[in-house]
Amino acid sequence: MNWSKVCVILSREYTVRVRSRGFILSTLLGPVGLILIIALPVLVTLWTRDTSQRRLAVRDETGRIGAGLEARNPERYFVSTDPEAQLRARLLDGQLDGYLLIPADVLQAGRVQLYTRSGGGLALLEEVQRDVSELVRLERLREAGLDTALIARLQERVRLQTHRVTETGVERDRGAALAAVGYVLGFLIYMMMFIYGALVMRGVIEEKANRIIEVLASSARPFEIMMGKVLGIGLVGLTQILIWIVLGWGIVSGLAPLLLAFLPAESGQIAPAAAASTGWELPRIPGGLVLGFVGYFLSGYFLYATLFAAIGSAVDQESDAQQLQWPLTLPIILPMLLITNVMADPDGTLAVILSLVPFFAPILMVVRLAATSVPFWQVGLSALLILLTFLAGVWISARIYRIGILIYGKKPTFREILRWAREG
Amino acid sequence: MAILELLEVSKRFGRNRAVDGVSFSVEPGRIFGLLGPNGAGKTTTIRMITYILLPDSGRIMLMGRPVGPEQQQRIGYLPEERGLYRRMRVLEQLVYFGRLKGLSARQAQEAARRWLQRLQAMGWEEKRVEELSKGMQQKVQFIASVLHEPDLLILDEPYTGLDPLNTELLTQVILELKAQGKTILFSTHRMEQVEQLCDDIVLINRGQVVLAGSVREIKARYRKDTIRLEFSGPDGVLDRLPGVQVISRSRHAAELRMLDPALRPQDLLLRLASELEIQRFEILEPSLQQIFIETVSRQIEQGRGA
Repeated sequence: MNWSKVCVILSREYTVRVRSRGFILSTLLGPVGLILIIALPVLVTLWTRDTSQRRLAVRDETGRIGAGLEARNPERYFVSTDPEAQLRARLLDGQLDGYLLIPADVLQAGRVQLYTRSGGGLALLEEVQRDVSELVRLERLREAGLDTALIARLQERVRLQTHRVTETGVERDRGAALAAVGYVLGFLIYMMMFIYGALVMRGVIEEKANRIIEVLASSARPFEIMMGKVLGIGLVGLTQILIWIVLGWGIVSGLAPLLLAFLPAESGQIAPAAAASTGWELPRIPGGLVLGFVGYFLSGYFLYATLFAAIGSAVDQESDAQQLQWPLTLPIILPMLLITNVMADPDGTLAVILSLVPFFAPILMVVRLAATSVPFWQVGLSALLILLTFLAGVWISARIYRIGILIYGKKPTFREILRWAREG
Repeated sequence: MAILELLEVSKRFGRNRAVDGVSFSVEPGRIFGLLGPNGAGKTTTIRMITYILLPDSGRIMLMGRPVGPEQQQRIGYLPEERGLYRRMRVLEQLVYFGRLKGLSARQAQEAARRWLQRLQAMGWEEKRVEELSKGMQQKVQFIASVLHEPDLLILDEPYTGLDPLNTELLTQVILELKAQGKTILFSTHRMEQVEQLCDDIVLINRGQVVLAGSVREIKARYRKDTIRLEFSGPDGVLDRLPGVQVISRSRHAAELRMLDPALRPQDLLLRLASELEIQRFEILEPSLQQIFIETVSRQIEQGRGA
């Protein structure tokens, strides 16, 4: 292989794409999209909490629960002694969002009535149900003769704290947060393999459809043309990911302190010291995971890219490629369906085996790397298996490509493509 | 010594023998016509010379050495179908193709500018290919094939899409290259261009060489038996000529073929002059077009007979 030719081809592929509007837009908008996907559920809950900032009048005929409710959440409940007819009139006037009737026999019958105009929404109903139930239980215990101290002890919850033991000592485990990070990274690799694989395929089809390949093939060997393209586009992917990592690092290290400084002040009650130990702490992504992510993205890309190039070489236009693509898209999609299984037990036999399968490894191994400590031998073995599969893939693809690029007209069947690979 | 030599070259695709034992050699500094009907095996032959395809058997030597990646650098190839990146700019694209042929970026850029000027295409450097007309693209493609000063230039239908002015310009450039000692392998269906440009030709049909030699020699091989006539007066005599076939006629002109080898043109002229007022009497060489059609159709008949 003549490397200087590969480099000429590679640098064209790289510069043309990195300069393109598509690359700039996707590099800038990619993270925005990803953040939106992740942030949407959070935003939605925040939103619903906001809209359910409704006040309920509590008419308590027992005289033992209303005060407790008001004490528990004064923004939600306030005790009222007005008769029900008057409460209903105020509800219809819009002065009230709703009212809660607690009958005298609530401790025996266990029933309270909530009146609203619109039904209130599930979140509100659940909240009221929980609050009232807890207070009623408390009153029942008190009625049974238990003293307040005992009740308080009974109510106490046990906290589960998880720790991770490593060679360097015991540290607090952030498994759950990192598992989520693993999911995001796995998803990212999935997207990138698809997008960049398709880019390779489209590039090959463009050269074939515009007959550029004839000029190229009279200047360089087909294998050099294919590898130049695959390497060049891979470098584009690497550039994009490195930009994202640098951007992400900048944002986290630059904005996180700001975020932490402002949040407690805003919410008022949480002391800054407490904020660090509660959910507001951003999960810190270990450097090894970043390295693993980049490595598995590259290996996944190269594993599939030459095969995408082979498919592209076999057809005259993009629409014809659809039917030939499934043997490639299937093993990319499959691990996405297996992610939850792997995350549930990242050290289990199933997870280990699945993550060693070369075609699944780029996604599943990254998920495992995030969720648990993967033994070094497994990473090494998976790298070896991927390398072997890659070499086999290149060998097959090169043979298909060499023949495919010069054949026009009828769309080949799978059997024919495999015959090219055999006879090539 | 021949610059390019094909020895018993064969290539088959499945059962189809695209090229079947083809041998010919191209002398340096000449324009060599590779002719043949559609599907004769011309493109496959060219692809083997350019090392895009490898022959199943036989040898192809360029400048005394078998074709391979290094010999590829010495060849310039203008394929029949245009191949340019539509979204790339002209200069960038030319530099790319030049570098693929082993030029440095700087050499490629200088050569590209020089050639753009020569082909009256200055100011196109920053245009995208998709903005260019077909003829303009054709010029860019031509430049891509000559940028690296190849010793052997292969032109497959180079005049496609060019207007008469640009056709003339390209002809000049091709003759200039020839004068510089470059060898040109020229493939076309347009026989008048072959007559105008080619020194030697090889005619292939169904994968085999059916005719080869210099244009002059080939034409001499065919008898001069066609006569062009212009006249005035009643032309009844044309119907009463023994051993003569009237190929075409109109009110004041006719083309005749002498079928009887014993008949001499001057006898015919005397006979005609006695009855018609002759304005023109010309003994024509057979055109390559005729030779082409005759040779190929004779082959088809032989094929049927066999």
